[in-house]
Amino acid sequence: MAQEKMLTGCSAAAQALKLAEVEVICSYPIRPYTAIMMELSKMVANGELDAEFVHGEGEHAQLSVVLGASACGARAVTGSAGVGVTYAFELYSPVAGGRYPLQMTIADRTLDPPGDFGSEHTDAMSTRDQGWILGWASTPQEVFDNTLMGYRIGEDPRIMLPQMTCQDGYFISHIPDKVKLADLKQVKEFLPPYSAPHPISTTCPVSHGPQIRPDQGAPMDAQRAATFLDLPKVIKEATEDYNRIFGRNYDPFLEKYKLEDAEIAFFIQGAHSNTCRTAVDTLRKQGLKAGMARPRWVRPWPTREIAEALGHVKAVGSIETSTSYGGAMRGGNLIHELRASLYDLDERPLTTSFMAGLGGETIWPEDFEFMAKVLSQMVREKRAQKYVYWIGFEE
Amino acid sequence: MSKKLPEFGTINVPHERAVPFGAVTPAPVHVQELFMTSNWRIVRPVIDNEKCTRCLTCYIACPDSCWSYNEEEDVMEWNAGFCKGCQICIKQCPSDALTAVPELDFPDGVVRLEKPF
Repeated sequence: MAQEKMLTGCSAAAQALKLAEVEVICSYPIRPYTAIMMELSKMVANGELDAEFVHGEGEHAQLSVVLGASACGARAVTGSAGVGVTYAFELYSPVAGGRYPLQMTIADRTLDPPGDFGSEHTDAMSTRDQGWILGWASTPQEVFDNTLMGYRIGEDPRIMLPQMTCQDGYFISHIPDKVKLADLKQVKEFLPPYSAPHPISTTCPVSHGPQIRPDQGAPMDAQRAATFLDLPKVIKEATEDYNRIFGRNYDPFLEKYKLEDAEIAFFIQGAHSNTCRTAVDTLRKQGLKAGMARPRWVRPWPTREIAEALGHVKAVGSIETSTSYGGAMRGGNLIHELRASLYDLDERPLTTSFMAGLGGETIWPEDFEFMAKVLSQMVREKRAQKYVYWIGFEE
Repeated sequence: MSKKLPEFGTINVPHERAVPFGAVTPAPVHVQELFMTSNWRIVRPVIDNEKCTRCLTCYIACPDSCWSYNEEEDVMEWNAGFCKGCQICIKQCPSDALTAVPELDFPDGVVRLEKPF
């Protein structure tokens, strides 16, 4: 039987990576993700995990090492946080374009300046157009599960894409919660060994990463985009298999909490959704029909699922945990794609956004009450007064 | 949802335009025919075989391995498909056997081609 343990998000990620039998690990320290590498290095040193553990001299090197490892046919992992994620930026597109299904495990941290180490999603969100599979967990359990699901989805021969599995720094990475682990037998059933289609080898030499011509750029982009059209189907299959083998109950794309009869809804990803669920319960006790939708993946974006789940709601507020300075709504990132997903509906909900959970701030139950008041007012007035509300800075 | 929502559709890249998966190709033994990259060249090195001593300095100096030695004919051969016209070989040649000549001076100059290759 699979064990249940109290684990932080970082430990949960390390345990899942051990069960995935990763073969190459490349580390460079930056808190809060570092704890994942500390645990992995201990496992390698103790002989519990048979993997090459490489110290990169920075995040750019980390990504380069795992790119090479993946090209050789190894299941590879690296990770980072905050400015470490952005230091590696050059490598994101080549890793995805070269179709290397390695995994990057992220514990979010605010970007500089200044050197705030609290959680905020802007670090990994800023990579969302680089062709990676990108998603957020909301508990240490989901970190464990997404790590295994990430490899299964990314290594699928129809997909072959890298995955960024994210967790909020501190809120998930450093707060222990009950995690149901898995048996190696279950993992073997779920996750077949990685098979690179054209591994670097001396007996059958191949060229990786050559220069292509400008007229080859467009078809290559189109081929990459076409893979993202197939991706939802593969995510769905993988999630269903995962639920069956490990006894979980994940929706592949969107957690829907009390949405069936909801009049107002919060749209939120990551750790703060836990407070949000409690806030929804409290609001319902007060007679307000509230609900919550939580995207599990940002890439691919669950366009259709959002339209189906939120189409009937009267007002939706997206709670941004990342910044998009000067963006269409002058707030965060999620609102743009949330509104775009709802636009084609005959009757669409009113929308607004709330800047909250930035720089490592907690989103308190009172904050959700404030947001619910704004959403209720929108329903009453049949209009949104503002595109964005900065929580903590409103009258 | 009363109205039918738009579809994502499909993206079809015709076979003749498709790029190898991840741009991974069989390793070239001599020349990678699939990815010719010299179409931004402005000048090309032209060799004077009388001056050339076959010292192979150009072969060593070229960052793209565009010079090779043809043993049978005892001449240096230049690869038009990859030479970017960087002129390192010209600068390095100890016997001044190489000259930079503008692409416009050649009927097959890359600036004259409608399609690069």
